[in-house]
Amino acid sequence: MPILILAWKSLLNRRFTALLTLLSIAFSVTLLIGVERLRGEVREGFTNTVSGTDLIVGARSGPINLLLYAVFRIGNATNNISWESYQAIANLPKVAWTIPLALGDSHRGFRVLGTTATYFAHFRYSRDRGLALAQGEPFADLYDAVLGSEVARTLGYRLGDPIVIAHGTGDVSFARHTDKPFRVAGILAPTGTPVDRTVHVSLAAIEAIHVGWESGAAAPGRSPDAAQTRELAATGALTPKAITAVLVGLKSRIATFQVQRAVNDYPEEPLLAILPGVALADLWRLIGIGERALLAVSAAVVVVGLFGMLTALLTSLNERRREMAILRSVGARPAHVLALILGEAVFLTLVGALLGVALLYGVLLLGGPLITDRLGLVIGIGPPSPAEGLLLAAVVAAGVLVGLIAGYRAYRLSLSDGLLIRV
Amino acid sequence: MTAVPVTSPAPAAIAIRDLRFRWRADLPPVLVIDALDIQPGERIFIEGPSGSGKTTLLGLLSGVLPVSDGALTVLDQPLNRLSAVERDHFRADHVGYVFQMFNLIPYLSMLDNVTLPCRFSRRRRARALARGGSLNAEAVRLLAHLDLDDPGLRARPVTELSVGQQQRVAAARALIGAPEILIADEPTSALDADRRAGFVELLFRECREAGLTLVFVSHDASLEGLFDRTLRLAELNRAAA
Ligand SMILES: Nc1ncnc2c1ncn2[C@@H]1O[C@H](COP(=O)(O)OP(=O)(O)OP(=O)(O)O)[C@@H](O)[C@H]1O
Ligand SMILES: [Mg+2]
Repeated sequence: MPILILAWKSLLNRRFTALLTLLSIAFSVTLLIGVERLRGEVREGFTNTVSGTDLIVGARSGPINLLLYAVFRIGNATNNISWESYQAIANLPKVAWTIPLALGDSHRGFRVLGTTATYFAHFRYSRDRGLALAQGEPFADLYDAVLGSEVARTLGYRLGDPIVIAHGTGDVSFARHTDKPFRVAGILAPTGTPVDRTVHVSLAAIEAIHVGWESGAAAPGRSPDAAQTRELAATGALTPKAITAVLVGLKSRIATFQVQRAVNDYPEEPLLAILPGVALADLWRLIGIGERALLAVSAAVVVVGLFGMLTALLTSLNERRREMAILRSVGARPAHVLALILGEAVFLTLVGALLGVALLYGVLLLGGPLITDRLGLVIGIGPPSPAEGLLLAAVVAAGVLVGLIAGYRAYRLSLSDGLLIRV
Repeated sequence: MTAVPVTSPAPAAIAIRDLRFRWRADLPPVLVIDALDIQPGERIFIEGPSGSGKTTLLGLLSGVLPVSDGALTVLDQPLNRLSAVERDHFRADHVGYVFQMFNLIPYLSMLDNVTLPCRFSRRRRARALARGGSLNAEAVRLLAHLDLDDPGLRARPVTELSVGQQQRVAAARALIGAPEILIADEPTSALDADRRAGFVELLFRECREAGLTLVFVSHDASLEGLFDRTLRLAELNRAAA
């Protein structure tokens, strides 16, 4: 293919502008594929904010509302579930495990969650990943707290630090439970889920915070100190009367709808059971528009990059009419002239796309640990997914189209110019 | 009129009968030539005022432009009946072409410029190899014939060559692989007066050695005497009338 050698030498001769075109294509491809990959991870991460849990149960309200407070710790439950109802659910024959959740308090802007040890054993996110402690232990003592990674990082807490938990959820709460300081017993590894922004304590601890605060404010002299409260806990007096929500794991998935119905029809109390996967997917449809907009913007960047190539090719054509007449004079066909331009466009697009993908892998390799550490997002360095392959193919196809447009123009020019050298 | 039997032993290198060429169907013809014969090895000087269709005629002879009407036979090939691709092949194999100026491809070396036709024609490649052993050796040989044997010059980008040097490189390119027909469209008009005759002499020497037919277009009447025959396009072309 002598014409391709000529195309290559011609390109080398214009290497500076060619390099700029190449880089603009490469960067736009990096952006496009990067956004696509991130988008996939974010969607995946979002719809897997909770996994392994078959049902989420709360007081009767809307599914999205239940999801928001039980999973994302956003807003408040309008009603609680009584402890008796919780026991009844936990004792259903098809139920394998339950994680009770008690929300209501906060610590310097982060929500405090009362739960049990089953939380650390059974909570799953992102396709069956369990919670791991980066440091320390799950709570053992009444006044032990386990921090989500972001809580620890933002507030600069280390193991053993004392923390004070406020009553209510306000950012700056006047009612601080200063009389019962907690101790940081463990810090969780990042998950990229709301767990990172949660302070975990035992259910009994939530009750303990409120001993002597029943009226809603500290009652001086009536509030027992920490040691007295611990004794109280030992007697079982700190068993909560109500919780906010329950995550339920079943022995078999087949029973999901049966149990869901049983909970929804629970006669003693109006309850609602939802399937987390379905509710999460619904919620994503609501808020996922932004992600598609992001992809559209990055696709537009690629289009701009390709337009840059088209402009460069068409501009070069005028300077290259002499070259084409010379080639025609030594026997080149107009098709050769088309191939010359098309070859250049295809080469620039292919190499630009490859370079862009290589660049993305470089960024992921170097920056991946940082992204995982900061956002809890694990962005895979695997081979391109079918969707990414499709995007790449679309980019290359668009590049071929650009080459054909410019090549056809060169073809027409060389037909009409013939051996006329126009300068 | 009765047809006169043709008695010439060798067929003409170029034969035109009732040729018509128009650039576009809606435009009047630019060229109308009833008959023209050019014998093999002949050196033809074509002159004519600007716009009389000299370059157009060369485009037809080299097979770049399609004949609108009539017969054009070059080296026994009926160009008016060949397809565009066949005419391109024909040109690659049989025609060397020299432009008025800007003959060289700026991103190719001097040798690559000279050997360029061998990339498009197997025949010329084979002939050049047979003659010189390698394409570059043949290019060097031709360049030396045209007084361009300085290796230092060869290493420089072709854009740094003087106009006269560029025209000689173009001549070497037109000659490589021994095509039968050499077409030159005002190749000397960018040269100063002293150099013109020298360049034409060089071309003649090469043509004589290889037995080439030379079709040479020029405005410069001072060169006319060097050629076997002069064609005045204004007289030949009935379209102008
Ligand atoms: N590509 C083209 N399309 C349409 N008309 C053309 C084209 N090229 C040339 N012509 C017309 O054909 C006629 C002959 O042009 P041509 O270039 O053959 O003249 P020429 O004799 O070579 O002139 P010059 O001595 O100036 O080079 C002119 O009237 C010109 O306008
Ligand atoms: Mg002309």
